[in-house]
Amino acid sequence: MMKTKEEQKKVFQELLVPELPALFRTALRMTRNREDAEDLVQEAVTKAFAAFDRFEEGTNFRAWIFKILTNTFINNYYRLRDRQKAPSLEEMEDETSFQPSFEGVTPEEALLNTLTREDILRAIESLPLEFRAVVVLTLVEGFSYKETAEILDIPIGTVMSRLHRGRKLLQKLLWEYSTRKTDMEKENEKGWTAKTL
Amino acid sequence: MDCKDLVEKLYFYLDGEVLSEEERRAIEEHLALCRKCCERYEFERLLWDMVRHNGQNDHVPEALIARIEGVIAQF
Repeated sequence: MMKTKEEQKKVFQELLVPELPALFRTALRMTRNREDAEDLVQEAVTKAFAAFDRFEEGTNFRAWIFKILTNTFINNYYRLRDRQKAPSLEEMEDETSFQPSFEGVTPEEALLNTLTREDILRAIESLPLEFRAVVVLTLVEGFSYKETAEILDIPIGTVMSRLHRGRKLLQKLLWEYSTRKTDMEKENEKGWTAKTL
Repeated sequence: MDCKDLVEKLYFYLDGEVLSEEERRAIEEHLALCRKCCERYEFERLLWDMVRHNGQNDHVPEALIARIEGVIAQF
């Protein structure tokens, strides 16, 4: 039986509300800007409701609305200036510049101990969009590889290869932030010792 | 399963992606016996847990909730 508009609204709202936090933070990681993120979520919600009569009840609402969000982002928000600003992959994947060295603890322990939320968000937001989208959907939001492929309309093999490279890039950035911090601490200690002696 | 096989399968295992029961058991057996792989696994698990946990820690602004409610009311 056909639902009335009010009934449709109610079902839509019940499905949407639990997803709002995830939609908002994904929009934030994509746009890297709170104002744009809020506009993007609003636009995606409006489009989703307009298309809601084509949504099959009982299927994956979460994946469906994330698909609308990512498509809206790519069509309306991913402007040319963002593409130009993104560093080239070669620049990001150059591994020769990075050699972690730590004293007393393993490099891995040092990394885990020094990382902050700001480092993690900065690293995610520095990734080129194709890697960022896959990393956010699978590693942060917990979508399966198959769901991510459907959301982004790409083959599952592409999801896996982007995820693999995205992880490597993210780890490289996090190592760099951590090494920089450890080096700065060492410098500060040296300065302090020199002054007090 | 050797260390090379484990590295290849590790992310599938961490991401909860479908592996056969046999593969899953082989990974767990290898992790129980190989210290190097076990350390690598622990590091990767903690790192990606941190990424997920911190990545999920944004609050939706009240203003956005109000905007969305307003939009839905107008439908």
